[in-house]
Amino acid sequence: MKGPSRAAPYVFIGPTLILLAVFSLLPILVAVYISLTDMDLAGLANYSSIKFVGLQNYADVLGDPVFLLALRNTLFYVVIGVPLVIACSLGAALLINFGRSRAFKVFRVVYYLPSVTNVVAVAVVWSYLYNPGIGLFNYVLTSLGFDKVAWLTDPTIAKLSLILLALWRSIGLNMIIFIAALQGIDRSYYEAAQLDGASNWQQLTRITIPMMRFAIFFVSVTTMIGWLQFFEEPFVMTQGGPLNGTVSASLFIYQNGFQFSNFGYAAAGSFVLFFIIIAVTLLQLRLQRKQAEE
Amino acid sequence: MKTKTASAAIAAVMLAGTALAGCSSGGSDSADGGKVTLSVWAMGDSSKPMEQMAAAYAKENPNVTVKVQAIPWGSAHDKLLTAVASKKGPDVLQMGTTWMPEFAAAGALADLTADLGSYPELAADHFFKGTVTSTQFDGKTVGVPWLAETRVLFYRTDVLKSVGYDQAPKTWDELLDASKKLTERGKDKYGIGLDPKEPTLSFMFARQNGAKLIEDNKAQFDQPQYRDTVAYLDSFFKNGYAPIDLGLDTSQTFGGDGMVPMFISGPWMIKTIKDQIPEIDGKWATAVLPSKENNMSSLGGSNLTVFNFTDHKAEAMKFISFLSKPENQLEWMKQTGELPANMKAWEDPQLSGDPNMSVVGEQLKNAEPMPLVKAWDNISQNFVKTFEQIYRANGNIDAQLKDFNAQSQQLLDK
Repeated sequence: MKGPSRAAPYVFIGPTLILLAVFSLLPILVAVYISLTDMDLAGLANYSSIKFVGLQNYADVLGDPVFLLALRNTLFYVVIGVPLVIACSLGAALLINFGRSRAFKVFRVVYYLPSVTNVVAVAVVWSYLYNPGIGLFNYVLTSLGFDKVAWLTDPTIAKLSLILLALWRSIGLNMIIFIAALQGIDRSYYEAAQLDGASNWQQLTRITIPMMRFAIFFVSVTTMIGWLQFFEEPFVMTQGGPLNGTVSASLFIYQNGFQFSNFGYAAAGSFVLFFIIIAVTLLQLRLQRKQAEE
Repeated sequence: MKTKTASAAIAAVMLAGTALAGCSSGGSDSADGGKVTLSVWAMGDSSKPMEQMAAAYAKENPNVTVKVQAIPWGSAHDKLLTAVASKKGPDVLQMGTTWMPEFAAAGALADLTADLGSYPELAADHFFKGTVTSTQFDGKTVGVPWLAETRVLFYRTDVLKSVGYDQAPKTWDELLDASKKLTERGKDKYGIGLDPKEPTLSFMFARQNGAKLIEDNKAQFDQPQYRDTVAYLDSFFKNGYAPIDLGLDTSQTFGGDGMVPMFISGPWMIKTIKDQIPEIDGKWATAVLPSKENNMSSLGGSNLTVFNFTDHKAEAMKFISFLSKPENQLEWMKQTGELPANMKAWEDPQLSGDPNMSVVGEQLKNAEPMPLVKAWDNISQNFVKTFEQIYRANGNIDAQLKDFNAQSQQLLDK
């Protein structure tokens, strides 16, 4: 018997690499090519009718007022949604971790439930809650003597309504990650701090939060990427309306690609979004590295 | 070692097998011995009605096996795209009239012009004129009319009588006047329900006003006939005659004291009203649309088409001609409530004896499909957004329509 063969590591990673190449890298390359053509439905049936148009699609999409509005809406979702998700799921994790009784275990499940509920079912229920005439929210508001709120029919309020819905859906998963990180912190830090007379608040800000830096970083990167691709909520609740007020970059791409069959145009839009996501993620990694060096 | 090779070989064969099976599913396999398998895609949530038709067909034609797949309307467009891209699909395909130009332009639908000669029962004069129009593309016939629907006016006879209308409004002016009087009944009362998200609404009204929409591939949306139509419709929203964002459905607004006592919709609402608000039985009716220059309605429904990449065109045509027979169209209606495109079927007492249905039948004689250009879906969705800028955000009608016209022209030139 010789020692481990030099090929062994490649055999182990081979299947993954092949799958990645066939199902991820290759489609991306094909999409790059499509984004440089005028591919539409006729092009699908007959490849010879596809024309190469260079960077025309990119120029068009960056000049499309609806796409620019979609990018602005996406920025709105990210800037408000991401910090809210991190704060709320961290808060929920801390509170649940605080208690020792069985009730807290139950709440862990309760908070997690929205994440595993089908988004279409969620949309049906929430559209009733938001219904302008017979919705629960407006019913409560009017019976308390307030005015009705145009939950889904005013461009700005509709964005906030969708953020509320997305927040409710995404707390659970991130909370689980935070709880796992919390339970990984060595108890001896707290014991030492308590001996030195540190208050609960000091323990939280000086031990818990710094120890959870990597979990927070992980959650903020994944949440940021997820929210830059904000899609399901406007897709099922508003289809981008009113007045394009809730259309996100991903929804714009979907509508152009699969509703109007402008595959080249949609592919160009998706690469613009792709580069934005890469840029934002690299920026986050850099900030994290800088922080780690300090 | 040997066993390893053997199991690897088995695995490889199984993989290849599944891959092949994956390719052929949904396609049409012709079996041996002259037996033909015909694959049919029917739109809708249930494959049952079509399976029953297929069973009846198989009884007459024992050499044919019909495989039915139901495609829900919501996912149909995606599914059809995949079929076109892979050139693998059914033999017979039910196709919504609005998608005909798009898929015909993509070459997904077989040209039936030459074949129709051998099927006299599929001749154009058996069907409503508008439904035949929807099967024409580029001078070719790419489908056979099958189901038809059109928009008519639904109204509460008792509520309209209370404001002095013994009959449904007959003209645009009467419609506006009736809506005004109905709205003046009090708070939270409206005249008519007009759905601004319905893409055919404005185009249907514009045609009644003599607008051409598209002529010689030139968009006509900046013309006065079109502009005046949009202003007319906008006035319903601006004056509060038509509700915006009410968030209630017809069963809540049409019943009771008639919060919204008129609306324009398709024949499926007849059954919905009967089922959901039986208490207003006898207090409502349907009527043909009010007219300006004419009262042409919008025509929808679906056609039967043959997928261009099929190997069984003759068998497919035979099955289509079976489905188009008046008695089979009536059988289909009994099961699904969808209305026949064959005029002969409308002579049956089930349809001619029902006052609401005969209104629909009369309107069908005066209904046209939306313009048959492949960009139509995109153009009409753009108009929904343009109109939203007008009625919701008080956009200037002339400026909005100028933009919309330019945008549409760009799509037409593509």
